[in-house]
Amino acid sequence: MNTLVTLIRRELQEHKVGFIYAPFIVTCVLSLVIISVYFGLTDIQTTEFNFTTKIYENEQALEWMATADLEQITAVMRSGLVVLAFPILLTVAFAILAFNLSTFADERKDRTLIFWRSLPVSDLTTVMSKILLVTLILPLIVLPNIILLHLISLLSASIFFVTNDIVPFGWVWSAYSFTDWFRIIFSLWAQSLWSLPLTAWLMFAGAFAKRPIMGALVPIAVVVVLEGIVLKTNYIFTFIEDRLGFWTRASSFPEQSEELRVVDVTDIYLMFSTQDFWIGMVLSTFLIGGIVYFRSRNNDYSSE
Amino acid sequence: MEREFAVKAKGVIKSYDNSHALNGIDLEVRSGQVMGLIGPNGAGKSTFLQAVLGLLNTEGELEVLGLDPRKERHKLLQKVCSITDVAVLPKWMTVDQVLQYVDGVHPRFNLEKAKSILSKTDINNNSKIKTLSRGLVVQLHLSIVMAIDAELLVLDEPTLGLDLVYRKEFYSQLIEDYYDGNKTILISTHQVEEIEGVLSDAIFMNQGKIVMKDSIDAINERFLELRPNQESLERARSLNPMHIRTELGREVFLFEGTEIDKLSGLGEVRPPFIADLFMAIMDKTKYEVQE
Repeated sequence: MNTLVTLIRRELQEHKVGFIYAPFIVTCVLSLVIISVYFGLTDIQTTEFNFTTKIYENEQALEWMATADLEQITAVMRSGLVVLAFPILLTVAFAILAFNLSTFADERKDRTLIFWRSLPVSDLTTVMSKILLVTLILPLIVLPNIILLHLISLLSASIFFVTNDIVPFGWVWSAYSFTDWFRIIFSLWAQSLWSLPLTAWLMFAGAFAKRPIMGALVPIAVVVVLEGIVLKTNYIFTFIEDRLGFWTRASSFPEQSEELRVVDVTDIYLMFSTQDFWIGMVLSTFLIGGIVYFRSRNNDYSSE
Repeated sequence: MEREFAVKAKGVIKSYDNSHALNGIDLEVRSGQVMGLIGPNGAGKSTFLQAVLGLLNTEGELEVLGLDPRKERHKLLQKVCSITDVAVLPKWMTVDQVLQYVDGVHPRFNLEKAKSILSKTDINNNSKIKTLSRGLVVQLHLSIVMAIDAELLVLDEPTLGLDLVYRKEFYSQLIEDYYDGNKTILISTHQVEEIEGVLSDAIFMNQGKIVMKDSIDAINERFLELRPNQESLERARSLNPMHIRTELGREVFLFEGTEIDKLSGLGEVRPPFIADLFMAIMDKTKYEVQE
């Protein structure tokens, strides 16, 4: 256990910029933007997206706010809060992508593999520590950022509503459930498990290929094209496409929903009930075995 | 229970395509020996040390500290320390982080001891490894290794690329502060002259084979080097030296198994340097192969 904790701590020390600083900086920037908008310092208006206090000049909007019941407030608030978390999740997703591709390639390149392997840590333990970091630990690191952003945005909105005599201070808070924190973390864990085949594949490419990006893309491109030509199907492409997106929106997920929503824990059971999920888990197991195999054979550092 | 042999190898072979990196190595390293592996590039020294560390699959029988190094590598590495290249400490880490890391993964690492050793050096615990000079990185690596209560230490070209001062310091620290007579050390290096005083035993390797193995004391008894006087040249030649080389225009004769009394009147007699003996044996092997 101590070994695993040490290995994960080492990864966080090495990748603190991508895993700790970057999401926190994004959180700070978003918080500043939100505070600036609610305090009337700026407006964000694009063709796709509007974030402005001008909407509260609309009589209809104000009337809706005054008469909305808790269920309606909750629905609006939750989808807003889900959208807020996107930039943080996207930042971490890019950091994870870079980590997965480079973690086993870099240790070969800079030859630190020799040092790591000179200590009594098995290859399997090392590989599992990296998988655990990505699937279990990083969601826990991301969560405080999301919570912080939520609290800052709700507080800013509350102050704005009270000072402009729109709705009482507690209006937004009535719709905010602290149990949502658990739903977020379970949802992120479910996402990590759903995307595990991609994580494992990218790490596998880093473990065997001299150029991990090519090693990750070329075999997949070949297999997808071959499947299209020979079998006239696109199962592999859909499989990959699904794993890139949110698990609740995958084509194999039993409940289809176009709206953004905070997932229920019962959704995770639905995911577990799909064949696609288990195919992914089996595939991930084989890939993890492959990573261990290649890492244990990366001994090309003889001085002779 | 004290183990008699730290390493036992019988018919160890490592093949790459059509060539043998190790070609039937038979070797027994007794616990407490400081064994030097001496040989040119491609002799198989590093390959053998990698096999000892369980990093390579080999044919034949290999037992290290009573364990199969390939199958029981994890267990073995709790008892074995190695420095296989000085440039491998992770540059992004601070000294403190690397110490904490080793402390977290190695059950036989003594953090306080490592800190105490480091306190005698110019290394700051908060420094990043990438800011340390090569010499200081080696000192750090050695401090880590010295704080591990290992039974076997494997050093593969540990001072490669270091200047003379650091090389000397490395070996003197190794012997004075680390070696206690119970630990077994395997060293491979090109700088034979620097480890000569450190070794208890030497193995000469060439083309994946052991061409000679003996203790330093036995080598000093078995081989003698004679710088004959001008008038004794012919007499020296008649005693069948195993090798003759020229040094600063003067012939130097190497004898095997010749009594010192027979040579002492002919000029300056002393045991040969390991490097010179190695060169002589390589020449002799080459001559025999050609014949």
